[in-house]
Amino acid sequence: MKKSIGGLVVAGAMVAVLASGCSSKPSADELKQLDDLKAEVSSLEREISAKESEKAALMKAIADKNAQLSQCEKDKALVQERLKGM
Amino acid sequence: MKILNRLTLVAALVLFICASAAAQEMTKEEWQKQMTEFTAKRNDLRNKLTALQAEVDRLKKEDADKAAALKKCNDDIMALVGATPEAERAFAAKLDQIDAKINELSRLSNQDLWARKGEVDDVQKMLDEVEQNKMSALPKYYNRIKEQQNRIDALKKSLEAAQIAMTYTVGTWAKDRDCLWNIAKKPKIYDNAFLWPKIWQNNREQIKNPDIIKPGQKLKIPPKADLTKEEKAAHRSYWQRKQAAAVQQ
Repeated sequence: MKKSIGGLVVAGAMVAVLASGCSSKPSADELKQLDDLKAEVSSLEREISAKESEKAALMKAIADKNAQLSQCEKDKALVQERLKGM
Repeated sequence: MKILNRLTLVAALVLFICASAAAQEMTKEEWQKQMTEFTAKRNDLRNKLTALQAEVDRLKKEDADKAAALKKCNDDIMALVGATPEAERAFAAKLDQIDAKINELSRLSNQDLWARKGEVDDVQKMLDEVEQNKMSALPKYYNRIKEQQNRIDALKKSLEAAQIAMTYTVGTWAKDRDCLWNIAKKPKIYDNAFLWPKIWQNNREQIKNPDIIKPGQKLKIPPKADLTKEEKAAHRSYWQRKQAAAVQQ
C-alpha cells in the first residue's frame, strides 16, 4: 500500500514538471519589448507632468501681464489727463 | 522503505519548486494582454503630449504678445512726458533731495524752524520746479509729490505758530508781583524764570531797563526755547552792569 502511494507521488511530480515545461512563454526579445514599452510610458508621463507645470506657469504669467497691462492703460489715461491740466 | 520515503520527499520538493516557478513566470497570453494595454496607454499619452505641446506653444506666443503690449504701453507713457532714462534718474534724485530737506526741517523746534524760515521757502521753490516738469504726472511720482507738498504745508503751519507770538499784559507789582523774572516763571508763559532775557530781548523797543516794566505794557512772548547767543550775551551784560553799579555804590 505504502509503495503504491510513493509511486503515485513520484508520478505526479513528473507530470507537473513536464506540464510546466510544455506551457507557452514569451521569448526574451518579447519580454524586452514589453519592458521598453513600460519605460516609454513612464517617460511620457514625466514629460506630460513637466508640460502641465510649464502650462500653469505660462497661464499665471499671462494673467499677471493682463493685470499690468490694464493698470498701464489706466495710468496712461491718467497721465494724459494730468498733462492737460499742466 | 527508507529509500522510498526519501524519494517521496524529493518528489514533493520538486513539485513545490516547479509549481512556484510556473506561478511566477508570465505566460504568452499575459504578455500579449500587457502589450495591448501598455500600447494603448502609450498612444493616449503621446496624443495628450502633442496636444499639451500645442497649448504651451500657443500660450508662449500669447505671453510674448502681452509682454510686447506692456512694453509699448510703458514706452507710450514715457513718450507722453518726454522722459529719457537719464532725465528720469535726475528727477528721482531731485525728489530724494527734497525729501531729505523736508525731513531735516521737520525735526526742528518751531523756534529753530523760524530761524531757518528761508530754507522752507527754498524747498517750496524746489518742489514748484519739480511740479512744472511733465514727469511729475507719472503715477509713481505724482502721489509722492503731493505728499511732499502736504509736509511743506505742515512746516508752514509750524512757522505761522512760531510767528504768532503770545502777548502778556503787565500787571501791578502790588497785586501781581510782575517783573520779567516772575513773568517768565509763570506756568502759562515759560515755567522757567531763567528765560526772562528772552522776553526782554524781544521787547527792547519798550524795555530799556529790564528792572523796570510798567503796568499795562503789552509784552511779546516768543515761543519757549533755550536762550539764543544774543540773549545770553544781553543777560551777561546786564549782570556786569549791576555788579559795576554795586561797586560804585
